[in-house]
Amino acid sequence: MEERIKVSNLVKRFGTFTAVDDVSFAVHENEFFSLLGPSGCGKTTTLRCISGLEQPTEGDIYISGQLVTSPKRNVMVPPERRGIGMVFQNYAVWPHMTVEQNMSYPLRLAKTPKEKINRKMAYLLELLELQGLEKRFPSELSGGQQQRVALGRALSTDPKVMLLDEPLSNLDAKLREQMRFELKDLQRKTGISILYVTHDQVEAMAMSDRVAVMKSGAVVQEGAPHDIYEKPKDKFVADFIGTMNFVPCSVTGRTEQGVTIRLKSGVEFGIEGSSAHEGDYTLAIRPEDIILGTERGVECEVDVRIFLGNVIEYRVRIGEDLFRVQTNSSMRLEPGDRTRAFIQNGLVFPK
Amino acid sequence: MNPDTAITRRSIDVRYVFMAIVGLFFLAVIVYPLSLVMIKSFSSEAGFTLENYAKIFSQDANIRALWNSVWVSCLSTLICVAAGTILAMLIVRTDIPYKSWLRMLLLLPYGIPPFIGAMAWAQLFGPVGYASKLYMSITGAMFAPWNIYSAAGVVLVLAVYQFPVVFITVSGALGRIDTSLEEAARMSGAGPFRTLIDVTLPLITPAITASALLAFVGCISNFGIPALLGFRARFFVLTTRIYSALSIPDMPLATAMAILLAIISGIPLILERRLERGKSKYTVIAGKSVRPQTMSFGGWRIPVFILVVLVALFAGVVPLLSMLLTSFLKYWGAPLELANMTSSHYKYILNLPMVTRAFRNSVFLAVSAATITMAVGALVSYMSVRAKIKGARTLDFIGTIPYAVPCTMVAIAMILAWSRPPVVLYGTIWVILAAYLVRYMPFSIRTTNATLQQVHVSLEEAARVSGAGWTQTMRDIVMPLIRPGLVAGWILVFMPALRELTMSVLLWSQGAETMGVVIYNMQDAGYTQIAAALSTLVLLVILAGNAVVRKLSKGEISI
Repeated sequence: MEERIKVSNLVKRFGTFTAVDDVSFAVHENEFFSLLGPSGCGKTTTLRCISGLEQPTEGDIYISGQLVTSPKRNVMVPPERRGIGMVFQNYAVWPHMTVEQNMSYPLRLAKTPKEKINRKMAYLLELLELQGLEKRFPSELSGGQQQRVALGRALSTDPKVMLLDEPLSNLDAKLREQMRFELKDLQRKTGISILYVTHDQVEAMAMSDRVAVMKSGAVVQEGAPHDIYEKPKDKFVADFIGTMNFVPCSVTGRTEQGVTIRLKSGVEFGIEGSSAHEGDYTLAIRPEDIILGTERGVECEVDVRIFLGNVIEYRVRIGEDLFRVQTNSSMRLEPGDRTRAFIQNGLVFPK
Repeated sequence: MNPDTAITRRSIDVRYVFMAIVGLFFLAVIVYPLSLVMIKSFSSEAGFTLENYAKIFSQDANIRALWNSVWVSCLSTLICVAAGTILAMLIVRTDIPYKSWLRMLLLLPYGIPPFIGAMAWAQLFGPVGYASKLYMSITGAMFAPWNIYSAAGVVLVLAVYQFPVVFITVSGALGRIDTSLEEAARMSGAGPFRTLIDVTLPLITPAITASALLAFVGCISNFGIPALLGFRARFFVLTTRIYSALSIPDMPLATAMAILLAIISGIPLILERRLERGKSKYTVIAGKSVRPQTMSFGGWRIPVFILVVLVALFAGVVPLLSMLLTSFLKYWGAPLELANMTSSHYKYILNLPMVTRAFRNSVFLAVSAATITMAVGALVSYMSVRAKIKGARTLDFIGTIPYAVPCTMVAIAMILAWSRPPVVLYGTIWVILAAYLVRYMPFSIRTTNATLQQVHVSLEEAARVSGAGWTQTMRDIVMPLIRPGLVAGWILVFMPALRELTMSVLLWSQGAETMGVVIYNMQDAGYTQIAAALSTLVLLVILAGNAVVRKLSKGEISI
């Protein structure tokens, strides 16, 4: 597949602070790629380097095979000549222009014939469900509508690449969930390559074909969402993606399928798929990987129960440690009940 | 429940008593004198007449003064808007070095009283001014090719002293623009220049327009500059013409001209208010702010920097230095040699009874005006902003009316109201105080409104819920929180009152001189060095006051 964006060995320093530290990745044709990480991890700086709004200290950037940024070779194509669409976190719709003027601005700059602009506007207004609002000013629109105007503006010139900088973070929870589907749908319809920056792991998981998790300026892990979820490379990724129980433990021996774990309290059980040597570790277990009320497993006591609608979350005590457990079973346990817990999956990380 | 209701009822009663007192005060001090001007302008001995207005338009000199006022103010506004906008863009949006220093230099004229500025410019570019002499000695010419005592001089110096208003407003607006709006234009395919034209300029247009309107009002209602630079060339504008009419005295003509001036300067103020209110259309959700995008000048960085430094020096530092120099000069026009330097002028003024008296008067007036207006202002603000008592909004409105009234008209109102029985204040220092109270009331109400709005009502409610009564809440919560704002506001009235000229020059009398009046009279009588020495002292006081305000407001307010 063709590489729409290629970033190699990108470095950006602000004075003595290194915001982006040797980042490399590629976004392919028709791909939804997310940069995911906590605030200050360098994801937005990386995006701004690709857009041309920021000049990196080192590294090369290619867009559709063309070299656009390379400090070493003294190449710096200005943002307006890169042919990419971009949606800003705060939408950046121009308050002095109407919806239509905002969305058609890139086309007018490109000296597009009038009737072509009109056709494109009609298409975009329908695609983004903004019909009837074309003469409105941004201050007369809701946040979600402003956001769609920003999307329309970015899409108007049919760019092959679009950059989105936390476009959903200013929307309320309901609208945010709805926009996730719409964005994904939009990408499928237009066949565009999207580079998406977010700190919201649920958002990244839901929409992306591939995700790169960033921490302190570097990419820690890159892969498909389910791979990252199931096989986090280290404790940071495991903690950042989804919910995880972390408890100290030691590995006391190997079994045929994995290793034997012993908790502080002396409780022992086995987990599969690990080949860790004997020693002290941190055990990581997803809440849905603990099955309650089984014949097998270790003894536990229910501490707290929270009803969440589709699932019930328990806090249970195994030995001396507390674990969060999620279950959708119809079985009702009361605080104080004693039962058994089977650990279906678990990971061990160095302390 | 009974005790509670009793407390509530009693505290409302107290508030209404306060309101009645403030209302009567406003009626007597603001409404009555200002309406007298209106009435007088439409009356003759025979009763109602339009004769006074007809007189304005039947005498060539009056028509000329009106026309001069308009074109001089328009031209000055044009100059300072162009200069202010360009310099604001250079400082906020380019990579020239030492920006904060440049900003301070450019704002220097803001702290200098315009009439003192006019004197300084005259010392530079007058017939025997420093710059003129330098030109003559270089070229060997007999005269300098310029004359500061002219219409052009008035236009230029007005522009210099109105420029900071534009600069502050526009650079503020530029700094508040969400940079992603401009970045979005770049991503849409616009180059840096197109972005400036299509996005940046339209976004700051409201700020530019507002500051232009304010600058126009500042120009047209200014007295000191056209008086010191225009009288000699027999070049009159409305304010100086009103001054002449009062010295004849032709009171009916003066009142009619004052009303005319109030109308011409009132319209822009109303427009500005409208603009301020219409702003909401231009506000959008602001996200996290990114570093402001600065344009790179490349090789032009240093030449542009030098140009800005020169402009900044000429606007502020050079006039101040020439003022300082003059104050040490043995006689005006003496060659600049060490032998011609003396500190005798300072000794002279410090021993002059009139000067000590004027200084005492000015300090007394400024302290009284600041204290009274801030106290009344705080009361009015609390009732309209916080307690939202019926009628308090009206008080707020009446208190801010004088904002739209030129100083000249305020002075005339004082003469009309307080120079005949039962209350005769004219001829004493009290009439000047009355004028200051009218003039500075709007400023203190605005400050106290803004200060109170910053204290969220929930802070007060939290105190009430914790068990504090109304007075206790005031003492423990509200006062400590608004004190810095009140102190800053007090100084913001104190400083301009200390060096006020326009009103005191029309209202002073023997024994009731102010600093501004003494400096003006000295300069008018030709004692240039004495006036310069006095001005230097006043400027030192202003500088010190500015430092205090900056410290109190942590750099947010300066004069």
